[in-house]
Amino acid sequence: MREEIISIKNEAMAQIMEAASANELEEIRISYLGRSGKITSLIKKLKDLPVQERKEVGLLANDSKNALVELLAEQKNRLSEASREWFDPTIPGIKPKRGHLHLLTTAIEEISKTFEQIGFVRVRYPEVEWDYFAFESLNMPMGHPARDEWETFFVDAPTHPKYGQIVLTPHTSSGQVREMNRVKTPPIRMINIAKCYRRQIDASHVPMFHQFEGLVIDKGISISHLKGTLDYFARNFFGKERKTRLRPFHFQFTEPSFEVDITCGVCLGKGCKLCKSGWLELGGAGMVHPVVLKNGGIDPKVYSGFAFGWGVERTFMMKSDLLIPDIRLLYSSDLRFLKQWT
Amino acid sequence: MDIKIPDSWLRDYLKTKATPNDVAKYLSLSGPSVEKIEHDHVYSIEVTTNRVDVASVYGLAREAAAILPQFGIKARLQPVKLPTLKFSGDVQYLQVTVNHSLCPRFSAVLIRGVELKDSPDWMKQRLTAVGVRAINNVVDISNYIMHELGQPIHTFDYDKIRGAKMILRESKKGESLTTLDGKTHTLPGGDIVIEDGGGYLIDLAGIMGGENSAVDESTKNVLLFVQTYNPLNIRQTSMFLAQRTEAAVLFEKGLDPELVALGMGRGIELFVKLTNGRPENTILDIYPAPYKERKVVTDIDFLSARLGAHLPKDKTTQILRSLGFETYWKGKTLQVLVPSYRAGDIEIPEDIVEEVARLYGYHNLPSELMQGGLPEPLADAPFNFEAKVKKTLTGWGGIEVYTLSLVSWEGAANGLKLKNPLGLNSEYLRTSLMFSLSRAAKDNSGETKPFHLFEVANIYIPRKADLPDERMTLAGIFSNTSFREVKGVVESLLEELNIEAKMTIEDAAHYLPNRCLSVKSQGKTLGQFGELPGGLLYYEFDIEALREASADIGSFKSLPKYPAQIEDITCSFPERTKIGEVIETIKQADKSVADVELTDIFQDSYTFRLWYEHPDKTLIDMEVEKIRDKLTKELKNKFGAIVKS
Repeated sequence: MREEIISIKNEAMAQIMEAASANELEEIRISYLGRSGKITSLIKKLKDLPVQERKEVGLLANDSKNALVELLAEQKNRLSEASREWFDPTIPGIKPKRGHLHLLTTAIEEISKTFEQIGFVRVRYPEVEWDYFAFESLNMPMGHPARDEWETFFVDAPTHPKYGQIVLTPHTSSGQVREMNRVKTPPIRMINIAKCYRRQIDASHVPMFHQFEGLVIDKGISISHLKGTLDYFARNFFGKERKTRLRPFHFQFTEPSFEVDITCGVCLGKGCKLCKSGWLELGGAGMVHPVVLKNGGIDPKVYSGFAFGWGVERTFMMKSDLLIPDIRLLYSSDLRFLKQWT
Repeated sequence: MDIKIPDSWLRDYLKTKATPNDVAKYLSLSGPSVEKIEHDHVYSIEVTTNRVDVASVYGLAREAAAILPQFGIKARLQPVKLPTLKFSGDVQYLQVTVNHSLCPRFSAVLIRGVELKDSPDWMKQRLTAVGVRAINNVVDISNYIMHELGQPIHTFDYDKIRGAKMILRESKKGESLTTLDGKTHTLPGGDIVIEDGGGYLIDLAGIMGGENSAVDESTKNVLLFVQTYNPLNIRQTSMFLAQRTEAAVLFEKGLDPELVALGMGRGIELFVKLTNGRPENTILDIYPAPYKERKVVTDIDFLSARLGAHLPKDKTTQILRSLGFETYWKGKTLQVLVPSYRAGDIEIPEDIVEEVARLYGYHNLPSELMQGGLPEPLADAPFNFEAKVKKTLTGWGGIEVYTLSLVSWEGAANGLKLKNPLGLNSEYLRTSLMFSLSRAAKDNSGETKPFHLFEVANIYIPRKADLPDERMTLAGIFSNTSFREVKGVVESLLEELNIEAKMTIEDAAHYLPNRCLSVKSQGKTLGQFGELPGGLLYYEFDIEALREASADIGSFKSLPKYPAQIEDITCSFPERTKIGEVIETIKQADKSVADVELTDIFQDSYTFRLWYEHPDKTLIDMEVEKIRDKLTKELKNKFGAIVKS
């Protein structure tokens, strides 16, 4: 039987090599490998052989079959275009319906992941908040001129005897004392992301935006740790060659307070047409003011901390160089805009 | 506040070879932020509320003289040269009564024979450069000194002050006064005002002078007036009357009373020079509690710990002295004496940290991540669940939107109202996402293909004597989409979230009657969906309710041991038959009916696919037939079904 297999195989191979069209090849395939093809019939007969021979010949028959299958495919590829079976793979695909996450969701996820990797815990605090948490506990008593910086919306509701008026949080810093109240004993590494509201009359603003607030409190927290955290964020969120710097600023709830800049993504700090000085403004930061720690029930003699709070929209636009001309577009429902994002 | 300082004016007091670019760069790194340099080398500077001491040419020069040497550039402050002045608490030409808590320092001097005319060009140019319109020499001198020293100055026509008498007091509610700009104000009370000997109010102190005492073309004798006021009163009045003058913006930040003498000296000097006026020899100066240097005690270990770097004592001393502080060491302990012009800002050791660190240079500090323990993760955080919902919906073609949570009254049934909204269409906090999403869908009314917009956002449900309940809500809207397709998305979402839910027909506000389904799980409402007028389909769910109802992993059911018999049955039904109920009836007909699916609808014929299963055997045809007969009989009886195959 062995000789029979070999000779059929050789015969088939010779025919395949000489075949000139797809049809011819198909005929050859049927006559050898089809349901009643020559090789198939031989394989069917294997069961009549004695056990020992069956194994050996079976192996040979299978090898021959595989060799023919391969050769058929090769020969098909070798055929000239015209003699091939017609198929058009250039036709467009039929796509499944694809949705789109909003840019802001992507931004918020990336930002929180970046901080979660160094042990920050993402939290969420009220967007409609007592004056106490938004201002008073942050070392901004009633009537303080620093409050002007936050163009605050007030809710038409009765005033709380202890916590004052209800406001729309103008910043995520209103979560600072709430987080201290929740954790009670440091370490604290918080990332708070929420909607914020400011009464901006100017036409290019939306009265709502998103902020992310970082808060770290522990023993021995220093300005160097703030720098380290900001540089970590810059490297991992914006790109490994990016750096940050601190400049003096003032907030009532931090001391010292900083403005944080990041090197321009185009010139990396050398100065170019886009950025002028080589640096772009990211947002505010500072070392938590001892009065704020006290208001959160944390002893400023034992613990210190830092905080930063930046706009999600702004930060993400700076990362992606999206050059969206008007931040109001982010809050539009125009499908032509929304469908641009993954 | 933003101020403008011309470089040439700055160099009257700052002696340095630094270029304007260097001055801008190094000030920004260690002091006030120079936002830009305008043409003709005018610095545009952002001054923070705590640093009113640098809101002037002289103040900025003092700051720059401390900062530039840290960057290796020589710089020196040229102090203001003053004529010799004689101050006294009592003068012949003016009789005053002062409430000291409103006015910690009150000074005035009579200048006779003032000639009103144009100011010289150099003064006009400098005023123009800082954005002030030149008027005449008397007015210009006031403005010039305010910009040079940061000390507002006022001038009265001396002859209009009846009885040469002044009473500086708190206003009573309802008193009225007309200011220089012709506006008549009815005062809220608690404002600082000056009343003259005739009982007339002649000055809204610290904000703007009264019209009735103003200098005009016929003025001969001027009372030059330099004061410090209680910042809280100034702020209250200025905000209440919306009278935000440059003087008010300075006074409300708390000015240094020591600056009064400088302002007075400079005023006398300029009046003599530019108006030929003859000042009285004695200046009235009522200053009952002169500044005593504040002490702040800290130590080198504290400073180093906050910086995160070892700070040498001598470097600390050098930095603080360059900024005008006095320093006394006792071992590691440092006592710092604060100069009067920094008294409003420097109170606690952390303030000293800032002074030392910014001049030491933030760029010179190390950058390192904190060590130490990690906080516990938040128990039961909602974020992953929300992300899963969003990703699931986008997988089926949903497009996420972010819409404004402030809406008009139409979108906020019983919602909270703002006291100071920007307009009628953003006056309320929304209590549902329906209004916003309907709007979003309508914004795309030109789109003829199906689309699905969704949003995950808080709604704000008012509570009595408390903050509103902020409920994270999932809502979506479909356009050009059939009810069945929308229901399919809702059903699939519930399956994806492993929620066993029941849907019942329940009419709800805004939905078309009979076209709204309420979704419940274990008796608790999760949300609802249905058709709105105008062909839009809408759903809204409470995210927390979904999260509670959702099982992380489905429960395990053992696989059937014996294969199911599968067959299709087609029936037709009379009009107004609820197919949901038909399917429920088929399911309940026999316990061997493992599953039912509606596979086709053609006219009034519905094809159902049924799976018959038995735990112990494969059902034979005869057994299946028996079950089929039982259930078709039930369909006939209950619904009037005609079984076609």
